Amino acid sequence: MLKQLTASLRDMWDVLSAEVRRVFSDKTVLVVFFLATVVYPPLYYLIYSSEVLTSMPVAVVNLSQGEASKRFIHKIDATSEVDVAYRCLSFTDAQRLLLDHQVEAIFLFPSDYDRLLAQGKTAHICCYSDISSFLYYKNALIGGSNVLLDEMHTIELQHQSAEGMDGAQAEVQIKPIAYDDVKLYNPTGGYASYFIPALLLLVVHQTLFFGICVLCGDANENRRALKLIPPHLRKRSLHRVTFGRLLCFMFIYFPITLFDLWLFPHWLGLPQLGSVADVFLFLLPLVASIACFAMTFGNLFVRQRMSAFLCCLFFSVILFFLSGAVWPQSSMPRFWLAVSYLFPSTPGIQGYLRISSMGAALSEVRGEYLALWIQAGFYFITATLSNRFLKRFN
Amino acid sequence: MHPRYLILLTLGVVLAFVFFATATRNGQPTELPVGVVDLDHSYLSRRLCHELQATQGVHIEAVYDNHTEARLAMQQGKIFAFYEIPQGTYNKLLQFQAPRFGLYTNQAYLLAGSLSYRELATMGQLAAGAVQREVLRKKGFTDDEIMGKIQPIALETHPIGNSKASYQVYLMTTLIPGIIALMALLHTAYVIGRERQERTVGSWLRKARYDTLRAMLGKMLPYTCYYTLLLAIAQFIMYGPMHFPLAGSWVLLMLMSLLLIVAAQCAGCFIMGCVPDPSVAMSLTSAYATLSFSLCGFSFPVDAMPKVMQAFSLLFPLRHYWLSLREIAYFGNGLSHCWVEIAALLAFTILLIVGAGMLRRQWRKGVAC
Repeated sequence: MLKQLTASLRDMWDVLSAEVRRVFSDKTVLVVFFLATVVYPPLYYLIYSSEVLTSMPVAVVNLSQGEASKRFIHKIDATSEVDVAYRCLSFTDAQRLLLDHQVEAIFLFPSDYDRLLAQGKTAHICCYSDISSFLYYKNALIGGSNVLLDEMHTIELQHQSAEGMDGAQAEVQIKPIAYDDVKLYNPTGGYASYFIPALLLLVVHQTLFFGICVLCGDANENRRALKLIPPHLRKRSLHRVTFGRLLCFMFIYFPITLFDLWLFPHWLGLPQLGSVADVFLFLLPLVASIACFAMTFGNLFVRQRMSAFLCCLFFSVILFFLSGAVWPQSSMPRFWLAVSYLFPSTPGIQGYLRISSMGAALSEVRGEYLALWIQAGFYFITATLSNRFLKRFN
Repeated sequence: MHPRYLILLTLGVVLAFVFFATATRNGQPTELPVGVVDLDHSYLSRRLCHELQATQGVHIEAVYDNHTEARLAMQQGKIFAFYEIPQGTYNKLLQFQAPRFGLYTNQAYLLAGSLSYRELATMGQLAAGAVQREVLRKKGFTDDEIMGKIQPIALETHPIGNSKASYQVYLMTTLIPGIIALMALLHTAYVIGRERQERTVGSWLRKARYDTLRAMLGKMLPYTCYYTLLLAIAQFIMYGPMHFPLAGSWVLLMLMSLLLIVAAQCAGCFIMGCVPDPSVAMSLTSAYATLSFSLCGFSFPVDAMPKVMQAFSLLFPLRHYWLSLREIAYFGNGLSHCWVEIAALLAFTILLIVGAGMLRRQWRKGVAC
């Protein structure tokens, strides 16, 4: 028994050390594993570091020229979202500015705006906004809506006072229900806090995947994939080969993962509400499942060093979308939701976001945690079995 | 041409197209799960629940007994937002003491959080409006007067070029051309890389009479035609049967699609020509191609990025394509608004010339050729 254990440990050690040598002697794998994981995070942070769009230039067309419309325009100008860059005399002038992209939105006050308000009827404001990037539209909408709520309050107070109600009584009638609006986990609604954690996890996922695919492609291309497996392990003990390789990738990649997903967000002050131990424990099956998934895929489908980049890179965009970080999982068709759980990135991003950004404990992401362990186990078996296919190709 | 990879990548385009078309088929996320912490158990809280359940945007996943349960549900990813209705809300309302609701939204998922906030805030306003309407009716106001009091101002929004604010239009019009350009870029880099890896650059150049530029053009051209055709078909389906709005010229959009593919290929030739190791070059090409989605400015506007990133974004063909798409599809502008982008995309041919020059130098020196 003890002899068998020592033999198996020695086998695994041999495979592990051979794999480590392969990794460190392959320039492409070094670029993918080490350069990409160090360069991508700060680059993405620079892209999204402004977090929010502020002082978006807009044009206003005030055809009413009354007191209420002027007050509204002053209030819009005072919001952080919007900056009144132009006050136009006609809609055509404002339209020209919008078409030339000197402004991103137009607020139009019709000529009857102040008159309708004075008569106690509903007055309309038209907001024309660029929507080529949704953030422009969102800014115009938020800026406009916030002022609108405030202005409605002012107008109604004026009406009620005119009817002879005292301040307190009028206040109750105007707003029977008030809100305590609490924006959790990302109070400013910033892009960096929202986008970067999910993006970083995808970077880890894809770099490990492509690195392993390059190694598998290299072995298959040079018809030496089988030679890399010690002869006495080729028949019955293929799991030792898989385990040895898995240990090698864990050994190299776990520190990189910790750097990208824990240390880097910590330095930048991105939301990190979860405990270090939970992040650490969550990332273990994540790295294992990605490595086993990539070994399976690499052994079965990657015949050349460069072909994985060619055929699989476009899938990164789909993976990010499938993960539910952008498009909510609840709105995803069932079929795609099922497909999404074939990839470690989906439970990985969901669980990591909740632990890191939302302070969930490991017990609150047990579904995702379990999914990662199941994936790791399943892909470990498929990676072991896929070694048998190598005989056919080599 | 490698038929195996061509077929695989064509299937990839079909997969991406079908995926985005089906995943975003409703235009906006619907039925977002939300919760209610009902501490009041009154007519008002039940009415609000009924009204929330009736909207398309959200559905009530559960009614919770306390705040902690709802927060846990949010951390478990079961809900994106919840209302907290404190005890005695309805009584306070009847006694003319302004009650307060808690409205908690999860902004770690920005899209789902913002949309569920919008739905819940609107429904809260409506519930408030309903109570106010009852009070005013009893006072003898007409319905017209009541509307003027409940909603004295209405904000009408007109998003230009995508009137329904559909995420399908927003995402697919940029992502599908982006994915096809990424494939054209990688495929061109790959075929040149294979020549270097197999050390067959000599025989390849012999066919082009030792003119590296001609050799690279010869490699590029079949893929230019194929991927432009793929992109044209995708555009035709989007702006045709799928009825995506296209305010400007179809011909101009096709021209920009062609230029996008050519510019992406030129960038691929440049990297493959400059980096001696084809496999390393392929990984750098991939890194470059991936960044284009963040730097084209369709998700986060480039004007809001730091200056250095604004300058960096100019190195990506997708950025110029997106700027022209904005002019053509959204604003209906013509050539006069797109010439800068056309010039920028044409400028990528300089990269092709430099890449060809670098390849020639390396071939003469015998580096990996």
